[in-house]
Amino acid sequence: MPRIQIDGKPVEVPDGLNLIEAARLLNIEIPHYCYHSGLSVVGSCRMCQIELEFNGRKSIALGCNTLAADGMQITTTSDEIRSIRRAVLEFYLQHHPLDCPICDDAGECDLQNYYMEHGLHDSRVDLAEKKHKHKVIDVGPTVVLDSERCILCTRCVRFCREIVGKDQLGVYGHGSDAELMNVPGTKLDNDYAGNVVDLCPVGALTDKDFRFKRRVWYLKRTPSVCTGCSRGCNISIDWETSRSYKDSGRRIQRLKPRYNKMVNEWWICDRGRYSYHAVDAPNRLLMPISNAEEREHGVSINAILARAAAKIEAIIDQNGSASIAVLGSAHSSNEDLFMLKRLFADHLKVQNIDVNLPGEANGSEDQILMKADLAPNRRGAQAIGAVPWGGEGQNGEAILEGAREGEFEILIIVDHDLTQYLGEKALHKLRKHTGYILYLSSHSNGMSEIADDVLPLAMWAERAATYTNFQGRIQRTSQAFDPLGLATPEWKYWYELAAMLGCKCDYETPQEVFNAIGEHTESFKGLRWDDLGDQGLMLTDAPEPAYRKIQCPNPLPAY
Amino acid sequence: MSTKQALLLSRNFAKTKQAKIDVAMKHGAYSMLKKAMSMKPDEVTAIVKESGLRGHGGAGFSAGTKWGFIPKDKFPRYVCVNADESEPGTCKDRLILERDPHLLLEGALICAWAVRAERIYIYIRGEYFYPAKVMQQAVDDAMKAGFIGENIKNSGWSCSVHLHTGAGAYICGEETGLIESMEGKKGFPRLKPPFFPAAVGLWGQPTIVNNVETLAFVPRILEIGPDKFAALGTPRNGGTALYSLSGHVKKPGVYELPMGTKMKELIYEYGGGIRNGNKLKAVIPGGSSSHILTAEECEDLPLDFESVAARGSMLGSAAVIVIDDTVSIPQLMIWLTRFYAHESCGQCTPCREGTDWLVRLAHRFADGWGTRKDIDDMFELADSIDGKTICALGQAVAWPTKSYLQKYRHEFEALVK
Ligand SMILES: Cc1cc2nc3c(=O)[nH]c(=O)nc-3n(C[C@H](O)[C@H](O)[C@H](O)COP(=O)(O)O)c2cc1C
Ligand code: SF4
Ligand code: SF4
Ligand code: SF4
Repeated sequence: MPRIQIDGKPVEVPDGLNLIEAARLLNIEIPHYCYHSGLSVVGSCRMCQIELEFNGRKSIALGCNTLAADGMQITTTSDEIRSIRRAVLEFYLQHHPLDCPICDDAGECDLQNYYMEHGLHDSRVDLAEKKHKHKVIDVGPTVVLDSERCILCTRCVRFCREIVGKDQLGVYGHGSDAELMNVPGTKLDNDYAGNVVDLCPVGALTDKDFRFKRRVWYLKRTPSVCTGCSRGCNISIDWETSRSYKDSGRRIQRLKPRYNKMVNEWWICDRGRYSYHAVDAPNRLLMPISNAEEREHGVSINAILARAAAKIEAIIDQNGSASIAVLGSAHSSNEDLFMLKRLFADHLKVQNIDVNLPGEANGSEDQILMKADLAPNRRGAQAIGAVPWGGEGQNGEAILEGAREGEFEILIIVDHDLTQYLGEKALHKLRKHTGYILYLSSHSNGMSEIADDVLPLAMWAERAATYTNFQGRIQRTSQAFDPLGLATPEWKYWYELAAMLGCKCDYETPQEVFNAIGEHTESFKGLRWDDLGDQGLMLTDAPEPAYRKIQCPNPLPAY
Repeated sequence: MSTKQALLLSRNFAKTKQAKIDVAMKHGAYSMLKKAMSMKPDEVTAIVKESGLRGHGGAGFSAGTKWGFIPKDKFPRYVCVNADESEPGTCKDRLILERDPHLLLEGALICAWAVRAERIYIYIRGEYFYPAKVMQQAVDDAMKAGFIGENIKNSGWSCSVHLHTGAGAYICGEETGLIESMEGKKGFPRLKPPFFPAAVGLWGQPTIVNNVETLAFVPRILEIGPDKFAALGTPRNGGTALYSLSGHVKKPGVYELPMGTKMKELIYEYGGGIRNGNKLKAVIPGGSSSHILTAEECEDLPLDFESVAARGSMLGSAAVIVIDDTVSIPQLMIWLTRFYAHESCGQCTPCREGTDWLVRLAHRFADGWGTRKDIDDMFELADSIDGKTICALGQAVAWPTKSYLQKYRHEFEALVK
């Protein structure tokens, strides 16, 4: 572990760390453009030069291409370094279009930021001499390039080649005619294309989904976890407080990857990136629905819960718990599933509980991030025990079969839209033979049309929760904003229902529910909400996986 | 050519059909390869080191020392012959390629023997169609004659030779740009460290990159012995050099003279003096990338690496460009900066943006709207490029720019609007 000094402050750093990363440990930023922690080092922007004193010799060195070695003394703020930075900034800005007023990156642009911090020169360029390049280039289905704004750092080029293994962007022409373009015959259409927008230190690459939507300084940021598949990439939700009159009032403006070394490093896939549209989609359920007599007059959540409680009590008295089946969801959080299990399995002794249904939709899977299992919490459901039990319990497939034959008086379904699983005939039979169907869902769909009672669910951005990814890592989401309408987190419904059925718990918050999981569930033994931190923790019986660089199996070399 | 010329390299330049292998062999070609192969590789390297042979591609690095940088246990190894000759003013490698290709091949093979390389690549600049043709013929002939290929002359050592033509980029003469280009990539010079291709070169393997002229000297060193070779030149500057003399002399051309020959001697004795009886104004001593020297600074200047450096310039590729008093330095600045702006690979910011900016400022003086501040700005820009780039093209534009501005500031000031 080399011991070095940066701006007079001593620090011991891990082996193999370059000076930019080493300085970060001291919260010192060595400004840079082309360097990115996740990509190869090219050293072309020349912004990260620092003064290095080593072995009695003084030199100017690159922060990115110099590995920390014992005894190094680094100065990041000398007059010479300042003037180098100012010169590099001035070089970048000489032809830069400076269309900050209409540039999506304004406010989070490293050219702006560093100019304010290190540049602050007056322009020496005659406006008429500014070189013009191409603007509004459609480089792919989701991304637009403004090559006048591009500072040719090649981060995007390297990302496509090194992380995704695709040759889709390149720099063509040389000298000051160099220009970023699609590799001839290709489009930027890989599953991770959106990351180039995050990577781009300036506003050269913008996301069609976010372009011209909001100034970034109006956005609030909430750390969360993508629920798009079982990997659970760490993300930040960038959202707006007021619902706009535009874009069907979307509150989430974009999702950005959030670093987690063991899950997704710096990246997310496009499937996850654009998954947020569901949150403010027009078909969100805002109110409870009763398909029975109150339909016309509206119904309260309490009325539905009371009715459900009464029916459950009556049926158990009459036929026992075998005539109740619960189809939970692997899209639900650990807290939801824990309360579901407490109520139905532990308290009501319902054995027919499952979250898995045959034929659940799968997504594509690759060796970078994307998992075929689109449910974020199947591992958690397993660990908590939202499964058939007691020897008699039926699994999801058997429950669906049985329901058609009228085996169940009460069917409780979370999230699964059975109209997507069953043919019309089977569905008709199931409906006809089941006395009471309670359905919980965030969106209206075929199922919400045919269930007896429907309760609206809050979505991931609207609530704090934990999910267990395929590795067994438990990760927290935070609540960005309130649920739409009367939508409520699933666990709260079970909590209320439990109270009505004589199962008293006193959990006020998801934090308390999670801590209860830690007390009552083997795989979560001893875990507490506060300990999860922003990078999550493994289930107590799941081994921490070995570190793996998030990368395709056949990366292309730097350039 | 005068008798005072030391005919080491250029000995056979005037002979007809020297490019044919039988003619070349009659004149001794490949005999030194045989001699080298009778020695241990390290012995050959030691001899080259002793001879004081310096690199003639520009940096003047000791050839023997470079060969010694090859790491012990890393194989395969390669030799790259830098025949990209594109430094303005330089036109000497071409003569070797065209007129004595077997001398170069022999030198390259001896180098390959010395460093135990299994393959030689000759990287020829794209515009050299004819030299490439001659060279390819020479390679084919040498292969037929058994000097190239499997188990050369029953030594158990195999070495192949491949010709690769560039596409006309100056930057592919920079050794790591050359290597990238050879690997089939864009000719982007590599980030340093690693500093030496001898350690990490072509496809990451140990690679010796030497200039054509440097390698062509090697058979001659073995022939006359390192001591005699060293004695021809000045201390630490062994042997002779091919001086490419161009510009306003009466007899421009390539002259082979001992290292350390006086500048005045080259210009007046060999070059026949300044054209039209004009006055000598300045000299660019080592290709366009070197600092300009005023006529006074050229007095008594011995043309070897140390002496020229001591006078604040560099011998570089020994391309001496003579400038008479009809030349406007601001005009020269336009030519200079345009060349480098055009040849910048565009990889790193100061060079990509700075060269382009320098061109615009230089043009202002010719167009009559330059200001005093522009003069200072040019100097500052050059300073912001100098030493702050990935490859030495940055210096190559910054050094001459600064020297023009320093030594001929009055000419720029005279054009201020
Ligand atoms: C911009 C630039 C262009 C160069 N062009 C050439 C060239 O055309 N030919 C050459 O032999 N060396 C050229 N060099 C020098 C090479 O990088 C390298 O130093 C040389 O080939 C080493 O051979 P030597 O040691 O025999 O001189 C160039 C260097 C730079 C920085
Ligand atoms: S588009 Fe952005 S990321 Fe790509 S090279 Fe240009 S500045 Fe860099
Ligand atoms: S890989 Fe999965 S978790 Fe990660 S962003 Fe994509 S959908 Fe979301
Ligand atoms: S100094 Fe110029 S030529 Fe050399 S790598 Fe940088 S941009 Fe390319």
